Order: sequence, then C-alpha cells, then structure tokens
Amino acid sequence: MQKILIGVDKISTWVGQICAWSVVGLTFLIGWEVFSRYVLNTPHGWVLDAQIMLYGVLFMMAGAYTLSKNGHVRGDVLYSFFTPRTQATLDLILYFVFFLPGVIALTYAGWTFFNDSLKINEQTFSADPLPLYPFKFVIPFAGGLLLMQGLVEIVRCVICIRQGEWPSRIADVEEVDVAKLKEMVDVKDEDIAALDKYVVAAGEKK
Amino acid sequence: MIRKELWFGFILMAIILAAVAILMPWSNMTNGHLGLLMLGLVVVAIMLGFPTAFTLMGMGMMFAFFAYWSRSDGHSERALQQTLDLMVQSTFGVMRNDVLISIPLFVFMGYLVERANLVSKLFKSLHIALARVPGSLAVATLVTCAIFATATGIVGAVVTLMGLLALPAMLKAGYDVRLSAGVITAGGCLGILIPPSVLLIVYGATAGVSVPKLYAGAFFPGLMLAGLYILYVIIVAKWKPHLAPPLSAEGRVVELPAATREINDTIGTRVFPSLLVALKGKRNQVITTKELMKELWISLAPLLVFIVIMGLTWNALTKPNEIQDVSGLEQMGAVSATENTSSSLAEPPGTEVKEPTAGGVEEPPGTEPAKEASIAKVAEPVVEKIADKLPPSTAPPRDPTPKSFWIVFAVGMTGLVVFYAIFTYTRLEIFKMLLTSFFPLSVMILAVLGTILFGLATPTEAAAVGSLGGFVLASVYLLLTQPREKIMQAAKLWIPLWVVFLVSVFWFIFYKSEVVASPPTEWMGVLSMVAFGIWAVVAVIQAKMLATVRESTYLTAKTSAMVCWLFVGSSIFSAAFALLGGQVIVENWVLSLGLTPLQFMLLAQFIIFVLGWPLEWTEIIVIFMPIFIPLLPKFGIDPLFFGLLVALNLQTAFLSPPVAMAAFYLKGVSPPHVTLNQIFAGMLPFMGIQIIAIILLYVFPAIGMWLPETLYK
Repeated sequence: MQKILIGVDKISTWVGQICAWSVVGLTFLIGWEVFSRYVLNTPHGWVLDAQIMLYGVLFMMAGAYTLSKNGHVRGDVLYSFFTPRTQATLDLILYFVFFLPGVIALTYAGWTFFNDSLKINEQTFSADPLPLYPFKFVIPFAGGLLLMQGLVEIVRCVICIRQGEWPSRIADVEEVDVAKLKEMVDVKDEDIAALDKYVVAAGEKK
Repeated sequence: MIRKELWFGFILMAIILAAVAILMPWSNMTNGHLGLLMLGLVVVAIMLGFPTAFTLMGMGMMFAFFAYWSRSDGHSERALQQTLDLMVQSTFGVMRNDVLISIPLFVFMGYLVERANLVSKLFKSLHIALARVPGSLAVATLVTCAIFATATGIVGAVVTLMGLLALPAMLKAGYDVRLSAGVITAGGCLGILIPPSVLLIVYGATAGVSVPKLYAGAFFPGLMLAGLYILYVIIVAKWKPHLAPPLSAEGRVVELPAATREINDTIGTRVFPSLLVALKGKRNQVITTKELMKELWISLAPLLVFIVIMGLTWNALTKPNEIQDVSGLEQMGAVSATENTSSSLAEPPGTEVKEPTAGGVEEPPGTEPAKEASIAKVAEPVVEKIADKLPPSTAPPRDPTPKSFWIVFAVGMTGLVVFYAIFTYTRLEIFKMLLTSFFPLSVMILAVLGTILFGLATPTEAAAVGSLGGFVLASVYLLLTQPREKIMQAAKLWIPLWVVFLVSVFWFIFYKSEVVASPPTEWMGVLSMVAFGIWAVVAVIQAKMLATVRESTYLTAKTSAMVCWLFVGSSIFSAAFALLGGQVIVENWVLSLGLTPLQFMLLAQFIIFVLGWPLEWTEIIVIFMPIFIPLLPKFGIDPLFFGLLVALNLQTAFLSPPVAMAAFYLKGVSPPHVTLNQIFAGMLPFMGIQIIAIILLYVFPAIGMWLPETLYK
C-alpha cells in the first residue's frame, strides 16, 4: 500500500517540480522583455500573454505537489494540538465533505471548458496571438492530479486512524529547514546548548 | 482529557457558533442569512484544520449550487451547470490575474536572497557599525531583520536565522532573554509590511487597489514601525542598562589589515589626508602603491557616487524642454503598449469587474518636466522628431538651475565633508564590511521599489528583475565561499561578460539622462543580453548554483500554489456569498448601526485583530476583505488607507499568542531554558508598539498617504 501511495506522491511531485521551473522561465522571459522594451525599444505583444500562462501553469500544477507535501495552509489554532488519530478522522470527513465534491466538479467543469475552447481553436486576444486552449487544459489536468493525490491522502487518513500515527512521506526541500540554516551560518547544537548558562545565570540573578 | 491549548480554540469556535445560532432569524431565513451562516461556518471549518483552499472551494460550491437552485424553480440541472461555470470561471480568473503574477517572482527573489548567505555578514557589519548606539546589538538585530526580511519576506527563515545568529550574541553580551526574543520575533515580521511584500500584493488583488500605490503607502509606515522598535530598544537600553548592557571594549575592536594599520600608526588616523601623504612617498616600503590606490578608491566611493547622481540630476533638471519631450513620449508609448496588451487574456464576456490596478503604473512620474512634456506633445508632435534628429549642439540653451538643487548639493557636500573629517581607518574597515553586505541588498531593494514607485516598471517587471538581482547576489556570495584560485579563475570569465552586459545598461542610462544622444544600437543590446545569458549559465556551473536555484524553484512553486489555490477557493466562496446576497445583509446591518467612520474603522480593525488569532493573514485577506471593501465608500474611507491599516494590524497577528508562529520558530533554535512564555512576554511590548503605530497612522494619515498622493497625483 505504502508503495502505491509513495508512487502517486512521486508523480505529483515530479509534475509539480517540472512545472516549477516555469518560474525560472518567467524570470528570464520578463527580464528579457524588460531589456528589449526599455533599452532596445522593441516590445513584444505576446510576452504578456506568455507570462500569464507561465504563472498559471506554475501554481495550478503545483497544487497536487503541495498537497502531497502537506503544504497547503491550514487553520492551525487547534489542529496541531490534536492527536494524530483525531487529525486523521477530521481530515477524512472533510475530504469527503469539501475536497472531493469541489475538486471533482472543478475537474469536470475544466474538461468541458477546455473542450469548448479546443472546438473553436481559441487564441489570445492580441496582435500576435497564442493558442489559448492548452492553457485551459491546465485546469482539468491539475484537477485530475489533485484528485488522485486527494485519494492518496484519504488512504493516509485511514491508515493513520488504524495505526495511530501518520504514514511517512518522501522528504522534500522545506521552507525553514533548521538543520540547513544552522549549517549555513555555522552554528552547532552544542553552541546553542552552551548558551544555556547565560539564560540560567540571568534567571538566578533575579 | 482536553489539553489546555485546545480550550482556547474550542471556546472561540463555540462563541462563533453561538453567535450564529442566536443572530440567525431561524423562522424566516432568507438567502442572505444563509450567506452569513456560510461565513460563520467557514471560520469554524477553517479552525478544524483542513486545508483552507479546499474548505473554501467545497463550501463555496455547495452554497453556490443552493443559491442557483433556489432561483431556478427546481431546475437542478441548470443550477448545477451554472455552479460548474462559476467554479471554472473563478479558477480561470485567478490563473490570468495580472496582479498575482508578481507573487511567485517576489517569492523566488526572496528564496534566492535567503540562500545567498549574507545574513551573518550583514549582522556582523551592522553590529560593529552601530557599536556606539545604546542597545547596539538589539538595534543591529532590528536593522538586519528589517532589511533581510524586506528582501526575503519569509518570516520563518528570518526568525530562525536571527535566532541562530543574534540570540547567542545578545545572550553572551548579557542582554535580557525576553528583550532579545522580542527583538528577533518583532523584527522578523517586519518583512510582512515593508514593501515589496506579498501581503500587499494579495490585498491589492483582493481589494482592487493598485499595488504600486500600496507600496508607496506602506513604505513610510513600515519605516516608522521599524523606527519605533529601534527607539523603544534605545530607550530601554538607556533607562535599564542591565537589560541591554553596552558592548564591551573588545566587542568593538575592528581588525585593520596590515597596510592600513601601518599608515594608521605612522601617518595619521584620518583616511583621506593620510592616504594622500602616503601616496606622495612618505611611507614604509612594505605597502605597495596598488594597495594604497585600492583603499583610496574605496574611500572615494561615496564622493564619486554623490557627484554622479548630482550630475545626472542637474542634467535632467536643466535640459531644454524639447529633448525632455522625446523621453516623455517614449515612456508613454511603452506604457500604452502595456495597456493595450494587458487585457488580451481577458475574455470579452468576463464576469469580473476589471480591477483598476493598472492605473497606478501607467501614470508617468509626477514631475514638472513630465507635465510640460505632455502639453508640448499635444501641441507640436513634429518638433520632437526633429529634436531627436538634431545634434545636441543646436539644442536650445539649458534651463536655469533651480535653487533647491543647490540647497541639496550644499547639504550633501557638507555631509560629505563631515563624513571625511571623521573617516578613520577603523571606519574605513566598517565601511568595507557594509559595502559587501548592507549596500548590495539595500540597493537591490531600493532599485526594485524605486522602479515600481516611480512608475518606471510594473511590479511584475520589477519583481522579475529583482529575481535576477537575487540570482546575481546569490551567485557572487556563493562564489566567494570557494577557494581563492577558483574565484580568480571565475573572475576571468565573469568580468568580461559583465562589462559587455553593462555597456548597454550604462549607455541606456546615459541616453535617458541625455548625456548621449542615441539609444544603444540593436546589435549592442543583443550582445549584452547574450552576455548576461552566458554569464547566468557560467554562474550556475562555477558558483555551483544549480542546487540553490532548484531548491528556490521548488519552494517558490509550493508557496505560490499555497497562496494562489487559496485564491481559487476564496474566489468561488466570495462568488457564492455574493450570489446569496450576504453582502446586502451585512451592508444593511452595518448601515443600520449608524456608525461614524471612526467607529466603523475601529470595529473593522477590531474584527480583523480578533480574526488574527485563529486565522492566517492570507485567509483573513482573501475571505474578509471582499466583505469590508464594499462598505468603505459608504463611510468615505479610502481602500488604500484601509489596506495600510490592515497590513499594520495583521502584523500583530504574527506576534499574538498562542498561535504566533514567529515564537515557535525562535523556540526551535533557542537554548532549552528559554521558555515559550519568555518569548511571548518579550513580544508583548512590541505588540504594544504596533498598536501605537496603528493609532499614529490613523491620527496622521499623511504618514502613509503622503507618498502615494505625491507620486500619483
């Protein structure tokens, strides 16, 4: 079971990370356009459309990736104080109440939305147009990925309710990776522990 | 047995549910009341801890379906189709939102800068530079936080890093634990407010306020808040020195390199005169002329920068009108191109109201010459073309130099004279340290911010260029960590490429400031761009940037997905709320209270403050701002001003226990005997200062509104 779960995680991660590179593309595209427009005075009409598309792909495709890393923002006033079992039970119920209906509807609606666009071979509304339907395809694609990842998360909830602890996930780069930051500024755990004497000394003085 | 932390949440939840249950007119529910019920439920649902984006999406969908269904006399199929359309349109609206697009770019810039590893250098140089100030370590921490948090905008990383760097330094120097913790947590959250911040973009996108205006407005309140923190620390250090003792003598010592120490000991301590004397020949054989020249150049840098800036300003101020016209026209031409294309992705029958955000960007900087330019442009379009072709020698004589220029010049010169009079070798060393840590970062931030504020570039463009700047910073700093021969080897390739790149850039700057008559030629521009591209590839290889870029990229994707999916959820949710007519009920209710604008403002800020406990700032803005914003015109409140107050207010959400995440990040890297309670206690005075700042801003709106009003008249 764990193998399948990790396998789906890997697919979401892989797609999300590939699309993540569009931020590099976006940076260079806009950097180039800025130079071209301001310094060389030759703006390109399609760049604005292209940058919007890159941005859309970036965040939509990363939705499942973020879910697989448990990275979507949660209201944290209670959640982190619950036991894993309570967390999983709540999550399980809410996956069925909120997540599945919402994402299934979005995927389905996105699919018709894309097909309508494909039928008329829709293009962007500008002087040098780009085809628009591939961009619209992002909605059902991202929705489908998200749905798949959501099913995996539901299984995880069930496992957690049975075992009393969350099954493991694959590690990924984290926003605040304390170990890495420690290494970066060259501070070791002993140094921090050694500081305790100042704290204790200050406490005794009072 | 329920843990005591849970009680707080449960009580909050119970209060909300009870309020909803009591206030609902259960016997005669209208759809509008259902909307309010939905709003109450969503807060409770969010508190259960399910990913907020999907809570909003699911709940929005259900209520939207109900709203359509109740209107369609039982045609459930049609209602379903309408709901699906609404969902996909809302999602697509977020996907083509041209305000949100700058979020990934600013986030990317932040991650790159964070990984450039310059924070320790920054902190060390600032703490030595500020050694004489009372509470110097705490002040240095605040300044470091302010700059670093502004550039990165990642609260967790800034607090963790400063907890690793500044907390040990402060504890060793005998600082009070609570004061140290408060300084780090409060300072780490400054990046939320000081532009370029993501919070303001999110607010701008939700409220339809132009991001440049928000940035202009938040600039001084942000500085004011940082200033108030610093003032507080200085007062505490003066008043109760045992909480923040002054630095010991050895803490202040700056090591001088051999060459300058020699001169310092033999000739004189003041840099400028003694270097000149040394160059003339009165010196030891040990020091080479090359070294002396290097020191001289560095010490002359402030003077040179001042002269160049004043020279360009003088040139711009006094140049004859005709030439000004050309640049004005060109700027407008470029801008109108943006205007035309920006709506191309928007489908003609778009459901959303087009946001007026672009307005701020399009206005040219409100300077006198620009006005004249536009007048002249209307009158005689032909003249400009001629003026463009005419050699500069035939141009009309220069305008008289305005008096204010000479005043600024005199003040600047006096400042420089004083600066050089006290410029000792110790200070030269400090200056060098600042030159490699403080200045690059602040110049980058100011450049990004400046181009946005003066309307030279859109926030998106500035953010992309900022990301490139972050890439440059990170690669230079990463290269510097490598062995010396590697650096020299890389420099052989980097310097020529940069020279080629900078030729066009400087050419362009000189052209814009009328020093050169023609713009950079096309082949030169292309060459420069290619040079930069090659350099980027070379830098990735030589400075081993691939891992850094990859990590930053992935993190950017995750953060953007988090924020933007929340937008997807909330746009569906808000649409459902509007469909149900909840807004009308809220409006009628608020208007029936007969509040004065002041009372309304207090109420709104209080609600936001309370919501800051259970919810995150993103959730508060995307869910509740759409409810508050339509009420603002009724009370004659500027949404821009309201946004500034909200941004200041949400700062307190980061510092209010028990969910203040800054405290938990700090706890994670502090010695075991530092308790969470101590950290919370340390944050309290700073929360108080934040409230004072909100009051100050409310009483003196000019603090925030002066800059946007001046820039975008």
